[in-house]
Amino acid sequence: MQTGLLSTYLKPLKTRHVGAWTLSSLLIGFFLIFYFTVMLDARLLDLGVGGKPLASLLNSATSALGLSNKWWLYSWLYTLAMVIGGVFFLSKHAKTPYQRWRTITVVMVQIVFVMALPYLMVYFEKPVYNFAMFWPLKHDTFYPGTTKNLPELYMMYSIVGAFFLVPALTFLFGKRWYCSWACGCGGLAETAGDSFRHLSNKSTNAWRFERYSIHLVLLFVIINTILVIIHFKLRAELGASYTTEFPTFSSIAVPLALFYKFMIASLLSGVLGVGLYPLMGSRVWCRFFCPLAALMGIIQKYGRFRITVKDDMCISCGNCSTYCEMGIDVRAYAQKNQSFKRASCVGCGMCEHVCPRGVLKLENKWDFASWGKDPARNVAEI
Amino acid sequence: MRYVIIGNGVAGINAASEIRRADGKAEISIVSYESDHFFSRTALMYAFCGQLSERCIEPYERDYYKKMNFTRVRDRISAVDYSKKTLTLESGGTLAYDRLLIASGSVGRRATYPGSDLDGVGRFVTWDNLEWLKEKSKDARAAVVIGGGLIGIEALEILHLAGIEVTFLVRESHLWPVAFSETESDMVVAHVKEHGCHVLLGEGTDEVVGKNGKVIGLKTDAGKMIECDIALFAIGVQPQTEFLKGSGFELDRFGGIVVDEKLGTGLQDVWAAGDCTSVIWFNGVRRPEQLWYTGRDQGIAAGKNMAASNGMQTAYKRATFYNSAKFFDIEYTTAGYVNFNFDGEHDWYQRETGTNISQRITYLQDGTVIGFNMLGSRWDHGILVRWVDEKRKIGWVLEHLHEAAFDEEFFRKFKVLAPAPVV
Repeated sequence: MQTGLLSTYLKPLKTRHVGAWTLSSLLIGFFLIFYFTVMLDARLLDLGVGGKPLASLLNSATSALGLSNKWWLYSWLYTLAMVIGGVFFLSKHAKTPYQRWRTITVVMVQIVFVMALPYLMVYFEKPVYNFAMFWPLKHDTFYPGTTKNLPELYMMYSIVGAFFLVPALTFLFGKRWYCSWACGCGGLAETAGDSFRHLSNKSTNAWRFERYSIHLVLLFVIINTILVIIHFKLRAELGASYTTEFPTFSSIAVPLALFYKFMIASLLSGVLGVGLYPLMGSRVWCRFFCPLAALMGIIQKYGRFRITVKDDMCISCGNCSTYCEMGIDVRAYAQKNQSFKRASCVGCGMCEHVCPRGVLKLENKWDFASWGKDPARNVAEI
Repeated sequence: MRYVIIGNGVAGINAASEIRRADGKAEISIVSYESDHFFSRTALMYAFCGQLSERCIEPYERDYYKKMNFTRVRDRISAVDYSKKTLTLESGGTLAYDRLLIASGSVGRRATYPGSDLDGVGRFVTWDNLEWLKEKSKDARAAVVIGGGLIGIEALEILHLAGIEVTFLVRESHLWPVAFSETESDMVVAHVKEHGCHVLLGEGTDEVVGKNGKVIGLKTDAGKMIECDIALFAIGVQPQTEFLKGSGFELDRFGGIVVDEKLGTGLQDVWAAGDCTSVIWFNGVRRPEQLWYTGRDQGIAAGKNMAASNGMQTAYKRATFYNSAKFFDIEYTTAGYVNFNFDGEHDWYQRETGTNISQRITYLQDGTVIGFNMLGSRWDHGILVRWVDEKRKIGWVLEHLHEAAFDEEFFRKFKVLAPAPVV
């Protein structure tokens, strides 16, 4: 039996009972207030509630804590959730070295890159920048509106990061180096969200949906980035005549970028991504929508990282599939003696950790023979 | 062609799938009284304590039967007419077949001690057993688990985790003698005790004591009285072949259906596979092989043979023995033949101080390695089995042993600490 996972299915909060729905609603409410403060206050005003109650609530909270704006409060709460969740996770799984180091690292990255560095940057009067986040997850990285205020060195880092560091590390170690060792979204999922990992949908239909949704978001963010850059270029070059010369283009580019920011970056990543933890598991955003995960997933299929299955030892118990936060039906591979690479796998190692027969092993391995082959599809279709 | 498969377990479902692969048009019916969906029997313990839901332990998505076009019949078999090729179901209906597979599995062996029919006496092998134990454990305070094998240790663990005070009653002088040496048993017993379970070695059952039809205790053959509400007997499993009595099958002394190497039963168009069969082991002894792995392999072999249109039958050949288990936190892998008492066999053994990690390698007089018993860490049994097949010598094996380690990344590197024996 696995310490910490015992009686998962006997707890109402972990099995979509009333408590889980309540928690989910509270989380969604919390994120809505943070992300859409102004918009919601305006709605409240329409309903006759004046005085911007939400903004003043956040303001009084931030100033009481001596913080300069609500996003600092957000960072503090986020990091606090990760630290508490991380300690809780370690109390259950720290015996396994892989789980121990992964969790400590992801929490440290959050503390150093998202909390400590920004404070230092403010102290040294440099612009604040999150060096642990890359395009296309940070969708506005290359918008001229963002870049014009940043030092060139920051920009160099972002370009090298997105187009060299991320692909190279993903090729060598799988996307896990980011998704479960460094990323903030992943970090929250692995710590505060860990108790809900079994709620991910394992069906083939969910997998089918995921393949469309995540790649469409990737396509969307690429188009979006290009359009915004062209838009700024044209406007700078043509000045006032821009809107008359390219009426359609000029009216599309900006609203599209705003739509992405609203729909994808705020609603899906924040509000629903975390808000749905208690109902759909901790990786809703990462699995179905994150464009960086999509990009790294494609590289991962051709990279070294795989899950090796030991032949003929699986007892089909289902612990691996159940505790896969990405909804991969790991058992389907294990019981077919099929080592595999799945684009969505974030390498959290939980399948390997919970397997009572030690059938699975996460590995980085040079293996040119299986490059680009997709055993996954055969398994799903029997 | 009409195929009927009795049993929806690992042997039955694998046979059915194999037949489907060979013959897309075959009519395949699966008869089972136990469950609508194939489930992993080895995972019953996880379903008991809620680490998994009951749905989680179903290895396939629920549309599997539809996708594979299997017809399910939830019933028991009351009679089989082999000349007319018809099954009579308990509900009264009949089912005709052209080819029949018996994969009815096994059930826990029933205790025969006085008091064995009291409310609170049970087993832990079938879906019914699971439901029974769930119900019983709700208000139980103490339990005795009888039998020092794998199911016994698993039952001990889950009852303990359910907050019940558990005593482990083992008739033999050490745990699971077919798998463990005394030293290994000591390590596992100590681990079990650390978790807070009581263990009584070398003591058997005298009688189950009851009051008003309910279990209130168990008297050991040493005269000790242990108070309990549950007496769980895990004293082995026996083939579920009672419904075949008097139907012309040859059953071995365990009740297993005697099959030839192609899993044929001797009756025209009838095969058998899984826990209910009796096959010849590597050492020439005929008896059932009641393992998950052999059930699966026999099912696949039987399915292939049943669907073979040209009469080409492939032999079921059990590969070199291997098995695995987990006792609380201690994982266990075995490969080859340990504890089979070959002439002049020796053991190489090491245990790292302060850990529950040990390795034992059994070799013959001339140094040829015949088996591995690995506790507490993970091993690729495939490599170990290959070394046994290749008749590798102990010295060579110790030099290469680290290559077979299958631990998670960042796990400490395996090292040979004990000296290699001189042979």
